[in-house]
Amino acid sequence: MKAIQWILIAAIASPVLAGCDDTLAPFNGDAEVDRVLNATFTQTDRFGLPAIATVFIPTNQKDAYNRGQPSNDAAEYTDEVVTVLMAFGQSAASASGLAAALLPDAQPIDVTQPSGFLNGRRPQDDVITAELGLIFGASAALNDDHVDANDKPFLASFPYLAAPHLQ
Amino acid sequence: MRSRHREGSAALVIAATAIGTFGLARWAVGADHRDSAALTADPAADIADVYTFRNPSNPSNVVLAMTVSGLIPPAEASTAAFDRNILYQFRIDNDGDAVEDLVIQAFVTGNSSNQVMHFRGPVAPSMSGLVSSVDHGAETATVRVSNGADAIVATRDGMQVFAGVRDDPFFFDLAQFQAILTGQATGFRNPGVDTFAGTNVLAIVVEVPAALLGGTQLKIWGTTSRS
Repeated sequence: MKAIQWILIAAIASPVLAGCDDTLAPFNGDAEVDRVLNATFTQTDRFGLPAIATVFIPTNQKDAYNRGQPSNDAAEYTDEVVTVLMAFGQSAASASGLAAALLPDAQPIDVTQPSGFLNGRRPQDDVITAELGLIFGASAALNDDHVDANDKPFLASFPYLAAPHLQ
Repeated sequence: MRSRHREGSAALVIAATAIGTFGLARWAVGADHRDSAALTADPAADIADVYTFRNPSNPSNVVLAMTVSGLIPPAEASTAAFDRNILYQFRIDNDGDAVEDLVIQAFVTGNSSNQVMHFRGPVAPSMSGLVSSVDHGAETATVRVSNGADAIVATRDGMQVFAGVRDDPFFFDLAQFQAILTGQATGFRNPGVDTFAGTNVLAIVVEVPAALLGGTQLKIWGTTSRS
């Protein structure tokens, strides 16, 4: 173990021991944590905007996309997005504008403004209906799945997501 | 085999084909198959959703949530576990170049019935992009993984963390969509039926003061990485 880690442990140990009930003491020095600290990790999946990547990226490019970096998205995938949108009947200009809004595949959020898809994404946001509208436009049979809310109410406070379904 | 959220998205493309645009054969994966060969074999690394939003009652805090391992049935909720060889990360760009300037990292230790999730960050990553390592500085927080109705939450330095099984927050009438795709229906039901009702996911939720994220116009995405 590197000396710097021991110094850090010493520096943080005492406040943690006096800390909050549910906060565990730091695990630096634990053999399992050391294993992780010494490992390198290779990206397996990524997720930015809900569903968008899967809609627009061809199956044979999915694995490469999941290992890709948002900073390369506009250069690598704009043509794919435009192609799909035009296949859905959109004009070239409209497709290009949407592609520019959808890439890079990351959630934009302005933290000075109230949140809600596409300024961040709250759990209660009906993103599927938003996307169906994007793709199918005025087709009333297809532009809304009429599932407008989750099966369990979300919590008003942390951790926000509802308790699990238990047997 | 468990399906996952992305199937529904892939299905949208199939619908466009079925509805008569033109032959997008290369997108036409079956609705019962995952869209990525690698992730089909690795559900624990398979991100179902990412959420980013301000705390509605304290707008100076930002909440980041990631769900993985979708469609966990109630019978498996008490034993659902994170993968010890995966690094879960929120990547945060705060200067508009779509390259992460900060990361919040999470990884588990312990056996499947007694896991602890460890958090690091927000911190500048030692390397950006495809390959990651865990920040060697102090842990931000650690929390026991929750497998029951009560959420075990830890707080440290103004940051709150949670890791564990939760109701899947995603909702979509995927079943009716599949009926549309196969020609058994011509449109959605009203009201629809949430295919994900009654199912669970593994969730990682972090609430952090926005002031720690280095900017106000952010781009955020989630990643899983395997050692």
